[in-house]
Amino acid sequence: MRVYRKLIATTAVLAAVTLGLAACGSDSGGDETSQASGAKTLKLWHYEGPDSAMAIAWTKAIEIFKTEHPGVTVNFEQKQFEQIQKNAGMILNSDQGPDVMEYNKGNATAGLLSSQGLLTDLTADATKRGWDKKLSPSLQTTAKYDERGVMGSGKWYGVPNYGEYVTVYYNKDLFDKYKLAVPTTLDEFTKVMDTFVAKGVTPLGMSGAEYPAGQLYYELALSKADRSFVDNYQLYKAPVDFKADPLKYAADTFSAWVKKGYVSKESSSLKAEDMGVKFISGKVPMIVSGSWWYGRFQADAKFNWDSFLFPGNKLNAGSSGNIWVVPKNSKAKDLAADFIDITMRPEIQNLIGNNGGVPVAADAAQITDPKNKKLIEDFNTVNSGDGLAFYPDWPVPGYYDVLVSGFQGLINGSKTPEQVLAAISKPYQEGVDEIKNS
Amino acid sequence: MAETLTPTDLSVRRPDRRPKGGAYWLYLVPGGALFTLIIGVPFVATIYLSFTKWSGVGDPRWIGLKNYTRLLHDDIFWMSFRNTLAMIVAMVIVPTLLGLLLAAVLFDSIGRKFPPQASTALRAAYYLPQVLPVVVAGIVWGWILQPDGALNAFLRAIGLDSLAHDWLGDPKTAMPTVMLVMIWVQIGYPVVVFMAALQRVDPELYEAAELDGAGWFRRFRAITIPQIRPETFVVALTCTIAAMKVFGPIFALTRGGPDNATNVPSYFSYYNFFQKLNVGYGSAVSTVLTLLIILVSIVFIRVQNASQKRDEEI
Amino acid sequence: MSAVTTVPAAPTVQPVKPVRSRHRRGAARWVVLAVVVLGALAMLIPFGFMLLNAFKSPSDYSSNGSLSWPTGFYTEGLKNYWNTVNFPLKVWNSILISGTVAVAAVLISLLNAYALGIGRVRGRLWIVGAFLLANMLPQESLIYPLYYMAKQVGLYNSRLSVIIIFTVIQSAFGTYLLASVLGTFPKALLEAAALDGAGKWTILRRVVYPNVRPTLAVLLIFFFIWTWNEFFIPLVMLIDNNVQTVPVALASLQGDRLMDAPTTNAGALISLIPAVLFFLIFQRTLTRGITAGAVK
Repeated sequence: MRVYRKLIATTAVLAAVTLGLAACGSDSGGDETSQASGAKTLKLWHYEGPDSAMAIAWTKAIEIFKTEHPGVTVNFEQKQFEQIQKNAGMILNSDQGPDVMEYNKGNATAGLLSSQGLLTDLTADATKRGWDKKLSPSLQTTAKYDERGVMGSGKWYGVPNYGEYVTVYYNKDLFDKYKLAVPTTLDEFTKVMDTFVAKGVTPLGMSGAEYPAGQLYYELALSKADRSFVDNYQLYKAPVDFKADPLKYAADTFSAWVKKGYVSKESSSLKAEDMGVKFISGKVPMIVSGSWWYGRFQADAKFNWDSFLFPGNKLNAGSSGNIWVVPKNSKAKDLAADFIDITMRPEIQNLIGNNGGVPVAADAAQITDPKNKKLIEDFNTVNSGDGLAFYPDWPVPGYYDVLVSGFQGLINGSKTPEQVLAAISKPYQEGVDEIKNS
Repeated sequence: MAETLTPTDLSVRRPDRRPKGGAYWLYLVPGGALFTLIIGVPFVATIYLSFTKWSGVGDPRWIGLKNYTRLLHDDIFWMSFRNTLAMIVAMVIVPTLLGLLLAAVLFDSIGRKFPPQASTALRAAYYLPQVLPVVVAGIVWGWILQPDGALNAFLRAIGLDSLAHDWLGDPKTAMPTVMLVMIWVQIGYPVVVFMAALQRVDPELYEAAELDGAGWFRRFRAITIPQIRPETFVVALTCTIAAMKVFGPIFALTRGGPDNATNVPSYFSYYNFFQKLNVGYGSAVSTVLTLLIILVSIVFIRVQNASQKRDEEI
Repeated sequence: MSAVTTVPAAPTVQPVKPVRSRHRRGAARWVVLAVVVLGALAMLIPFGFMLLNAFKSPSDYSSNGSLSWPTGFYTEGLKNYWNTVNFPLKVWNSILISGTVAVAAVLISLLNAYALGIGRVRGRLWIVGAFLLANMLPQESLIYPLYYMAKQVGLYNSRLSVIIIFTVIQSAFGTYLLASVLGTFPKALLEAAALDGAGKWTILRRVVYPNVRPTLAVLLIFFFIWTWNEFFIPLVMLIDNNVQTVPVALASLQGDRLMDAPTTNAGALISLIPAVLFFLIFQRTLTRGITAGAVK
């Protein structure tokens, strides 16, 4: 009986395997039997969640594309961020890649792939279709990469539809409870936080195990920095001194804020998700984080809330959002450019704006929700003042982990500011040297 | 059948007793061919890559021994082996001992004195952590171990406020906490392997011992342990290899922090491959790690074989 | 006979022993059961949390935290996810891959172990060690070479590539375990069969296989579950959504900066079901005692 059961099980599996292998054969390799022009399919990938502003807008863009290109099938697949992040090089180096896809902006991602010749040069389309007019110069920084893969100049390799930046979210109800006004300078900001501490409330939510700590440090540095600092730090124009301001100021102030109780010592092991949940559950009145949280707060927060720019800063962490790229091996390059063009149209941009996102080229008058409008207006303020300073972990590959490790030490008190600066300066210098010498 | 004084090399012991049929090594061909392709080639490729500088796209650039000299001076890497020792305690020593005890109790005690569903269900409960994807385990344990998570809430509820702690955020408690989680993850594996091993033991051995008045623990030590020695070695070695290679749970719980308190060599290798895009250096790290694991395994297998020979000479 | 130390019983105590020991055993077994059950419940606590949070609405989870009792039974997130990601297809892919790997790896392990454990092939220690190399190599060092090879033969982005890779990796463990077990296989059985004129293949089928069935069952379970939970290599090798497996699909709930914890838990709980089912089906062979007469 046992033998029979095993036999049947084995036969069943073998039969399934045979069927599966037959299916394998046909699905491995989605062969596109079309040329670049006159292509009949457009393979499109992105990795934004289906409820996000971008996904909503892009779904509409796909619809419009279909009506304007009858006879072309749009093969859309929603991918996983981690898969694209790790394997883009491998995927684009094969014939299994898409015709157009969302990809991360920055030197370590788009820059690297473009320098290896895996992305299509979009400069011609950018000028012809007027994308260079719709995007401000600072937004174009993450769209263009030179032969070394450094952003800021060179050819167009990607096109962003949306922007992102770091701001301060605050719980209006808690502010009203303690009769606090929105701060406009750093001094007012610290006074607000003192009030909360006096009432036994930790003012600033934080996550030491992921990106928020590094972003707070960067915002503090930017409060004392100018554009040339950003150029040096991000574009390697001149060496950066970690023992001097603004970075020294940032580390010292961060440490002071931990000691004053503005930031909880126990947040060193928290993830960004935990920090967000703390804000939504009303445990912390403020967090310094990005516009990407907006949709989540909109859906889940049950209290009055809003956002304000980091008080006193002209420069803020932020950049364009992820960019559309066209792989070199794409078989439908013209169709891809058509699709990108559709996403830059006002109706799509307004869809992004009205659903919790930050569009790059929308008509502010068309945005209906007041909080969303403020989010976008704040972005426009930063953007038009050339205030987008990118992110602290961008300059060197792998720098994210260095920052996390350094600032965890600062939050739980095991490292002094000098030690943290020393720990994070070495990998930065080494990384920049490597990039310059390659 | 003249029993000549054969050399102790067992592989040439009984040339006249071998059954008919093709040579035994033919049975190794399918496995061997696949192995060469899937493991042999990448292993050689990794060694080659460890002498290059490469970002994962484009062409690798030969740089000789530079990666290795750099690795020799890399403090973080060698310090992370300290954590490997902790992992060996948490993933090998404790689970093997506890697992053996548990398996024997489930098989012998509970299995024989209660309906079989009891030991089946209990075994499934102990094994379930092994079935859970690592990422999800990280999320759930995060909920439990956070400063305002379940564990601290429980401690506060029973009045032990002073014990409430930032388990994963304090460098002093992070590693012990991770070790406890790893025990939770690992223990099901030895339990299942040992329970299957206990199937092989002839029940008559136990009955004879019981008739002679041997108590449970006596029987355990005298019969169970020697009989399932092969599985014990296998469990110990594979858990050791897993402990030296462990990465997923660490990543999910602490990302190697705080401040490298829970950093392990495998995460260091992963970090270089995929975050720093330094595939050449990562390959060097991988190669060194693999060589160390090979060394440990050789020792293990030698010991195992020696003990097996001892058994056969009885 | 292997070394069995017997304990001489004190004769004077013997007549009293049965009564006393029965009582002692009676109480003892309940205590033992209680301890083991408590341990099992402790092991299951994290799963309790998963259940608690799997069916919470996102705003409930965010507003009230992970420790609170859900305010309602929320299945929207799971339903949306199920459809967006085509979960049943992912489950099928996982079953196909894990099942094939489990069976194939067990077969190869048996063949290898036969040659090594029973056939005592020359240099078998080194061969076992070499096979174990498959388990010793960190996966990230396998990725690039395997990617290139798969691309060359056109197997990149196919389930077959993943099946082949994991068959090799899992059979390394299987070879080691089975070879160790077969190394202590009773020679008397083998010699008897050989004297009866049985060839190597027949001995494998008729003598060896029936005796190692519990071990094979263990291997089958392990291989299925280990392959089921594999994330990294499928992430690299399976590009098209329609060939992806469940762990890869679960990753789509985790973006660059945001994640959906309740749905991840719900998805993970559901993905546990096939693996647990497989475990429960095949572990029944583990509880059957060995066929009497193995040594006789």
